[in-house]
Amino acid sequence: MIPVGFTLQPDEGFLDLLADVIRREVDYYEVAPETLWRVADEAEAQLQENGFHRAFAALGRGAGRPFVAHGVGFSLGTAAPADAARRRRWLARIRLDHEVFRFRWYTDHLGATSVAGQAAALPLPVPMTAHAAGVVRRSLAALSEIVDDVGAENSVAYFMLGDPLDEPRFLSSALRAPRAHLLLDLHNVFTMGENFGFDPAEYVARLDLSKVIEIHLSGGSPSDPAWLPSGRVLRLDGHDDAVPEPVWRLFEDVAPRCPRLRGVTLERMEGTVAGAADVATVREELRRARWILGRLP
Amino acid sequence: MTRAAKGARRAAARVPGEGPRRAGAGAYARYEEAVARAMTAPEPVEAVRAAGRDPGLPAGVRRALLAADPDGVRMAALLVARLRFERLLRGCPEAEAWFDRDAADFSAAFRRYHAEVPPTAFFPPGEARLFRRWLAAPRAGGSGGAGPPGIGQI
Repeated sequence: MIPVGFTLQPDEGFLDLLADVIRREVDYYEVAPETLWRVADEAEAQLQENGFHRAFAALGRGAGRPFVAHGVGFSLGTAAPADAARRRRWLARIRLDHEVFRFRWYTDHLGATSVAGQAAALPLPVPMTAHAAGVVRRSLAALSEIVDDVGAENSVAYFMLGDPLDEPRFLSSALRAPRAHLLLDLHNVFTMGENFGFDPAEYVARLDLSKVIEIHLSGGSPSDPAWLPSGRVLRLDGHDDAVPEPVWRLFEDVAPRCPRLRGVTLERMEGTVAGAADVATVREELRRARWILGRLP
Repeated sequence: MTRAAKGARRAAARVPGEGPRRAGAGAYARYEEAVARAMTAPEPVEAVRAAGRDPGLPAGVRRALLAADPDGVRMAALLVARLRFERLLRGCPEAEAWFDRDAADFSAAFRRYHAEVPPTAFFPPGEARLFRRWLAAPRAGGSGGAGPPGIGQI
């Protein structure tokens, strides 16, 4: 049976509300390593463990659950010399984290969250060129010196450089190494389909599903019409709502076709679980994912 | 499919083989710099269009930049600013207090800060340092910092 995981968010209210779910309903935990760090100096030269780092490590030990890492900020699509020192510091910190959490695999987002040494924090698209694929491959190779299995997640980008349906080809090139995997985020595919006007099934049909190590399930919400001068509404990848039904249908269709799938993770953002009803939704979603996986041949 | 997405697809379709073409490290660095500029520019769409006219970028990348969905570019820039805003409020109690006291005034100051100071900090304390330094810096046409009385000297 393929295990079902859940994201641990560094937020006391989130952890308190979901404590029972976290202990009883999931097989592994996913963490974003950089959210478990504190900077000891304003120059950000020293990355140290914060309180959640210790709490999550204790939770994992106590519950006997393994961890996977899913970062946002390493920036797979970055090659700028201005960012080199930061990346070296992050790799050193990730190595220390791995000694504690023994990550089963480490993934980050396709794209660049750091550009020319500046923090975007949002995965920005990179040109889908051979050179850019090489940049991503080199980033993954650096991570794989710490964690054997690494990968990239198909991100949500709000603008693209070229045809969004060309991204699967780009991913194949970026993930050529044997232990470089795809984290297939189905809500991201759905969101991109909504925003760019393509059929998510068409995107998935172009992927090499033998590279999928993990599937992400999550929800999102529409942007405020007042945000854009055109009044247009885009779907946002906010992890702030229930998993939409089209994403569940995509999951049922795709999961049986991923022969090397090692985990399915439900993601939910801190601050978006407000009470018993939200907790019940999260619990039900985890059980639904498990039920679907239980029907796989 | 939106008109902009169709444009992007047409741009890609016009240059068969251009996608996989080796862009080169220099061109890639120019791309990173262009996107960094665009994401903090007051007019991000115009900044992306300007990058699309940069002869230092490969032709296929230029065409893709010119065809990028303007709403998507604006949304990306808005989210980048929002994430920086949140990073600042988490790291800088006096900025949070200013926001609580006068959200419109603080937001206007933040917009100037975001446009003027490259976001080189990745964590809240570093963002707070950049913000304090910006507040304390003398402004053209005035002798004081950008904040309300006292805050630039914190």
